[in-house]
Amino acid sequence: MALSAQLAFPALVAARLLLALSPLPDILKDDNQLSSPLTSYSRLREGIYLFRNGIDPYAGGTFRHMPWRRGRSCGYGRARSKTSGAGREGIVAASYLLNPYLFLSSLALSTSTFENALVLLALMFACEGRPSPALLTLALSAQLSLPTALLLPAITMLLLTTPLSQLATPRAFPTAQVFSKRTGRMLAEFGTYFAVLTAAATIAAGGMSWAENTWGAGLALPDLTPNPGLWWYFFTEMFDYFRPFFLVVFSVHLVIYVVPLCVKFQHDPLYAAFLLFGVFAVFKPYATLPDSGIFISMLSLFPEVYPYLRYPLVTALLHVHASALLPLFHHLWTRAGTGNANFFYASTLVLGLAGGGALIDCAWAGLRVAIGGAGKEGAEWVVVQE
Amino acid sequence: MWAQSTVALVCALLASPTLGRHEEYNEDLVLRPLPDGKLLARFAFTTLLAGAVPRAPASLEDEDISQHYTLFPLALGQILREYAVTELHLSLNAGKWDYDRWGYPEEPGVGTGAELWAWMGDGASSSIDARWKGTQNALAGLFCASLGAMDNQRTTSPTRAFPPAGQLPRLHSPHRHALRHATLPAEHVCTENLTPFLKLLPCPARAGAAALLDPHRVFDADWHGLGMHVRWRAGVGIELSLTVQAVFDPVRGARDGKRDWSLRSIFDRGIPRACPVATTSQVRVDLPPADSGFELSPEPSRIEHGQAIFDIMDTTQDLDVAMKWPQEPKFAYRALPPTIDTSTPLTTSAAFDLHHNPRIPFSFLRTLKGASQDQGTLALTVRNHDSTLPLDVLYLETMPWHVEFYLHTMRTTCDAIPCDALSNLTYTPPVPHTSPALLQAMLTIPPHATLRLTLEARKAFLRYTEHPPDAQRGWDLPPAVLIPISPLHTSQSQPQSQTDKAEIERGWGGRRRVYTPVLLVDLATPDFSMPYNVIIMSCTLVALIFGSIFNILTRRFALVKVVDSEPEEKESAEEVDAGAGAQ
Repeated sequence: MALSAQLAFPALVAARLLLALSPLPDILKDDNQLSSPLTSYSRLREGIYLFRNGIDPYAGGTFRHMPWRRGRSCGYGRARSKTSGAGREGIVAASYLLNPYLFLSSLALSTSTFENALVLLALMFACEGRPSPALLTLALSAQLSLPTALLLPAITMLLLTTPLSQLATPRAFPTAQVFSKRTGRMLAEFGTYFAVLTAAATIAAGGMSWAENTWGAGLALPDLTPNPGLWWYFFTEMFDYFRPFFLVVFSVHLVIYVVPLCVKFQHDPLYAAFLLFGVFAVFKPYATLPDSGIFISMLSLFPEVYPYLRYPLVTALLHVHASALLPLFHHLWTRAGTGNANFFYASTLVLGLAGGGALIDCAWAGLRVAIGGAGKEGAEWVVVQE
Repeated sequence: MWAQSTVALVCALLASPTLGRHEEYNEDLVLRPLPDGKLLARFAFTTLLAGAVPRAPASLEDEDISQHYTLFPLALGQILREYAVTELHLSLNAGKWDYDRWGYPEEPGVGTGAELWAWMGDGASSSIDARWKGTQNALAGLFCASLGAMDNQRTTSPTRAFPPAGQLPRLHSPHRHALRHATLPAEHVCTENLTPFLKLLPCPARAGAAALLDPHRVFDADWHGLGMHVRWRAGVGIELSLTVQAVFDPVRGARDGKRDWSLRSIFDRGIPRACPVATTSQVRVDLPPADSGFELSPEPSRIEHGQAIFDIMDTTQDLDVAMKWPQEPKFAYRALPPTIDTSTPLTTSAAFDLHHNPRIPFSFLRTLKGASQDQGTLALTVRNHDSTLPLDVLYLETMPWHVEFYLHTMRTTCDAIPCDALSNLTYTPPVPHTSPALLQAMLTIPPHATLRLTLEARKAFLRYTEHPPDAQRGWDLPPAVLIPISPLHTSQSQPQSQTDKAEIERGWGGRRRVYTPVLLVDLATPDFSMPYNVIIMSCTLVALIFGSIFNILTRRFALVKVVDSEPEEKESAEEVDAGAGAQ
């Protein structure tokens, strides 16, 4: 097992690099399911071109990337190995590298690969108990994609406790720690990093116009390019006078999950972070398939909940269904002209259902594992929810 | 006190431009037989407010002087003064101007649809944009055209391609003049625009050249357009030029297939009498070469620079200019020579084409390719006809935000070999739902070469309320503008004919704008009947997931002992805390 994992890992990395050199990235790079306006490689190149020609890339609506990303060339295919915090690296790495959602998105040269890598790095540092690197990478990741800032409570809790799996033996979070100086220091540290990075971005861009085009885009949704998320068609079809109201509703809805999940899973903040990834995958503005992919791949970190999943087959089939229909209906709508927008919308609903189903199932299983006794309930005892 | 205000009043009266102002009205009709058998007719009705100056923007807060005009249209004068417009150009055209066959038009603004541009000074209490909006709405009412749709999403400021045609009065620094330009390529021109247009003339449809403007005939032409140009000429005054330009096809209407034409056959009437208030009123006919065997009747007043001039002021009877080719049994369409080769001597017929109907020094083609509704490629092909000199063309592209360029994909090839033909690029990126993109660049085309420029573009997805009522038809994209500015056409362009001189006098000499045809882009449409369904279904999914998660999170797991016989006696014998819910 260990040997095969050792062999498999470089082989997978090599395969990815080989595919990255093939013409496949050119075909995939403008695929709306794999990269959103916020993560598109074409738009990144356009921004770099405009910047080099002395045109402010944030003056228009094409470029929505962070300023300091401009200077960076996309070395894609770079494997983000060893991001797992709980051992079992071979399987975890394989589940990351082989996950088609993630795999195709890095072939599509989507910058979401970097966002995922950063946020997984933050989790890894948190698991290793290294507050400063964890908070710095989280701040970086939040700069790239604002919703990941919502992981801050989970990561802080992770830094205060142990990353070892506590799902089976839930214990209350040491309340005293919550209000300790250490917590305050961490939050202040994150705030400082975030402020410094924001200031650096402002200086690099020569003004605050970038904030409106990057973070503002996630809140006001100016670009309605179809993606597998729930936002785009909802706001395409929204009545103009209700638009601000529903924008607030959808943004707040994303925030609503953070505190309950962190309170309920206070014994295992890594699991809370995992469930938050599931929430982002479904409800994030400009959601793309890599967002679903990272949630599915992270499931391999928690093998102890597998026996308690109630309907994994249904969820898996829904994912298969959605991933077959999404590219098909997108093609029928925008290229072949034989289907209309509703077809694609329906398949995004299926993906939303699959992501939501997996999220609900994992939340259930994460709590149910505490009682234990999978499959041994017998006739005498049943587990119910009060 | 009283004396002071009386003096001020007298001074104001004296300074008022209504006093001692001279107005002048001129009519000019140009008729030009084109090599492909068609006939170009261009009417220009020019009113000059001698000595007048445009209203200074800073004076907008003060009450305006009263306006009294004898010839200048009051409705237009009020608009110009209300919004302190220094220079204003409006054109409403239908059809595609064929530069390869017809050469340069007499009126340069031949872009399909509506085009409005104005130079305005700042320094007023209301912003230039607010006054631009007001000007549009006022002109929309005046001309019965939907010019009010020229909102921010269509307004640009392409100062390199649209310099002022007249002069701009000096403003106190830091105030400056600014350009606002907008196009509506889908706008049509019809009778409802011509009727109010004619009402601005001193002699509408009764006398003078305007009598020829019968809507049935004008709008039956292959190409037709209306224009209005206001500019200020320093030391002369404010000049208003109302123009009608049309390309008629005498061969189509003739039963015998001949290209003979007369005013009566083209316009269904002659010019009955001269407009009594006109200072000059003339019909100018561009004469084909003598060896083509044409006959012109009646006898013109004079012949100058290859043009027969009929003075309408002199005619006492109905004027019906006619041109015949008696020796020509039937008009034969000729293929155009593919290029103009200046190194070889020109044949007589080509010389005719060049002299009276100068073909433009290049051909062009602009297309939007790609069947997909989310991406496309814009391709511009320009062929330089000159075999010795390179051609410099200023290329202006105004694109609504629906089509977003990827400038990094811009490639230029000269005769299929990659070349660096692009220079001096300025670009204003589009802002979704707000403002269009503006691309200005200089193209250098080597002699006798074909330049090909390709640019990938992303097509936007619009909100359902942003689509026009017939969304499936697609969106008309504005024409691109090409301005040849190679040395051949600027430094050497000594005014050869009277046409050229007149053109330079009117401010368009040297820089001639060439409009490409408009494009149609097919954008992806949502289902317009779906708003309620989408809100219901998306919200159902959100509620389902939200509800289930909070159901799980807010309840505890418990082990319950089931007693077979008495299901009612459900006794929770043992409770296990799941999570910290019991804390």
